[in-house]
Amino acid sequence: MDAFLTSRIISDILGGLTNGVIYGLVALSLVLVWRSTGILNFAQGAMPMIATYLGMVVFAHRFGYWPLVAIAIVAGFSVGGVTERVLVRHLYGKPEINPIVVMVGFLIVLEGVAAAIWSTSPRGIPNPFSPIDWQLGGKPIALSPFGVYEIVTALVVMISVAVLFRFTKLGLQLRASALAPEVSRLLGVRVSRMLTLGWVLSTGVGTICTVLVASNFFTGLTPQVMDGIFAFGFIAAAVGGLDSPVGAIVAGVSIGIVLQFVGDFVNSNAIIITALVILILSLMVRPNGLFTKNTARRV
Amino acid sequence: MKWIAVGRRPTITAGLIVVAVMITSLVASSVRDGVAVGVALALAIAGGATLTTAGLREAHPVLARATLTVVVLDVALFATYFFSSVTNFNLAIGAAMSITLLGLSFLTGASGQISLGNSAFMGVGALAVAIWANHHSSTPMVATLLLAVACGAFVGLLLGLPATRLRGPYLAGMTLAFAVAFSAIVNSFTSWTGGDAGLQLPTAVTPPGWLSSLFNAQTPLLRVNTMWLADITIIVTGVAFFFMANLFASRIGRAMRLVRDNDVAAELVGVSLSRARVIAFMVSSAYAALGGALWTLINNSVSPPTFSLALSITILSLVVIGGIGTISGALIGGVIYAYSTNVISWFTQHAGINSQGNLASQLPGIVFGGLLILTMLFAPMGIAGAVRRLWARRRD
Repeated sequence: MDAFLTSRIISDILGGLTNGVIYGLVALSLVLVWRSTGILNFAQGAMPMIATYLGMVVFAHRFGYWPLVAIAIVAGFSVGGVTERVLVRHLYGKPEINPIVVMVGFLIVLEGVAAAIWSTSPRGIPNPFSPIDWQLGGKPIALSPFGVYEIVTALVVMISVAVLFRFTKLGLQLRASALAPEVSRLLGVRVSRMLTLGWVLSTGVGTICTVLVASNFFTGLTPQVMDGIFAFGFIAAAVGGLDSPVGAIVAGVSIGIVLQFVGDFVNSNAIIITALVILILSLMVRPNGLFTKNTARRV
Repeated sequence: MKWIAVGRRPTITAGLIVVAVMITSLVASSVRDGVAVGVALALAIAGGATLTTAGLREAHPVLARATLTVVVLDVALFATYFFSSVTNFNLAIGAAMSITLLGLSFLTGASGQISLGNSAFMGVGALAVAIWANHHSSTPMVATLLLAVACGAFVGLLLGLPATRLRGPYLAGMTLAFAVAFSAIVNSFTSWTGGDAGLQLPTAVTPPGWLSSLFNAQTPLLRVNTMWLADITIIVTGVAFFFMANLFASRIGRAMRLVRDNDVAAELVGVSLSRARVIAFMVSSAYAALGGALWTLINNSVSPPTFSLALSITILSLVVIGGIGTISGALIGGVIYAYSTNVISWFTQHAGINSQGNLASQLPGIVFGGLLILTMLFAPMGIAGAVRRLWARRRD
């Protein structure tokens, strides 16, 4: 049993799971924005990055880890809400490429501002979890207390989002205003408020994800920390289908595990190339993602 | 048929010339440069305005475009003789960039798709030239450039195949993934590409003897060399723009604009959607590859880390600021790119920002990003579109 748990296969699965939940969270935050406002948010990595700096760095000398996480999440909610109200609001109903271009611009502005204020050198964020893998019979399992913290937090976030959407009145209003804004408005749903809430939630999820990434002893917080992860998260969301939260999470975790095997058995350059190939192939087979129901477009 | 300028045309032309002279006096790095650019631009605008009057344009559109190209090329080549090496170098880099911009402008403007992978396509062209030159150094330059274009088109085809079925955001995300993956791809074939260190050209591009003999013997070699490079780039740019102008106006161009405006209607009138999209994507990648290939010639080397996602975003910003889907917009974007570094460092000096500090190093990104957002919100058709609208309003 010990030999099995410390084998290469199991290590890869566990390591892949730890990465995969992160990709799943990014994908989930992309799906939340896409479903509520039909925009693919290219600043989905940068907005939480700013919130994480605001929360975890500005007050770092005054509070411990958990209060800082709370501040970061509140900052994340506010960044999301303000962005929707000030910037995104003007983009509804415009041609498809306008929001893409604006959010790409927002991405480099945020990264530039963060680097101008806090420099590009990585900042470690001290946290209570050890990054050292557990040992079993003298050999490491690819799982550390920090890894468990990542996986558990991600699961809690995913389940809360699911509960919010499935079982609460608010979730029903959110889904209704995404699906049929006119009808919802007639039925008394404050649609415009729901759109803002979609962005608030999405940036909140993104911030929790960024806090996890930045807390990692081996990464730290940099202005561009989410760039690569955003690419994987987008690939997961596109493979799973931008409409499907479940698809995003499943695809995120599976891609994380597959890529861990690729990185272990081939080399690190092959990781992103494989991800690109997976994306291209899956889009050729199912252009709208593996988990979405096909819908006919009407003229 | 009235070929001679009539009505308001002379007034507008004169106004444009004044504006051009003012701009050149701002951007040129010495008085001699300023005078040369001023004269050149004034001649170009005057020549262009008289030779492409409505009458000629309607009767012989291709001829009108060819005339315009030749006039502008002539003037630009003439001007490079007076430029300093620095100006010529900037001009060459900017002209090559404007080819890439034109490609993306066509993709976005004509077929409504967006690509964040154009830096990687530039990289494909840049590496293709360097790799080929390192193995077959005697190949003529035109052949190497064509090879780079073919490589770009081929990679564009590979990536464009799924693109035939994709709509906006998916394609943008996929090309973003390609831009991020580019450095890993380069590093997977280190023996060919030289990895992150890149490649040197075995022999630098040198001007032919007759050109060197135009200068007196004391002229530094560098000046003649950069002038020759600028001339080559300008000629290639002229040819690329001429082709694109015709493509925009052709059947294919019209079909693509229909795809952009209403893809269902396009399909109903018999336009093959997937073919239109793949062709647009291939043309855009081939143009990017040509721009990248010229960069290799100008720099005499290729450094793969240049072709990062950040460059893709800069390309997108320049196209949007210049004007999506317009030919003049791509030129404006190229000029902005050539001089943006100078202007921004001038600004840092005069605004009292520490030039070694974090803010100074991040300023280009912040400025481009900010301009990108503002342009998209307030003038979605960019500078070219805004000028066109003003023009149209004056005519009414």
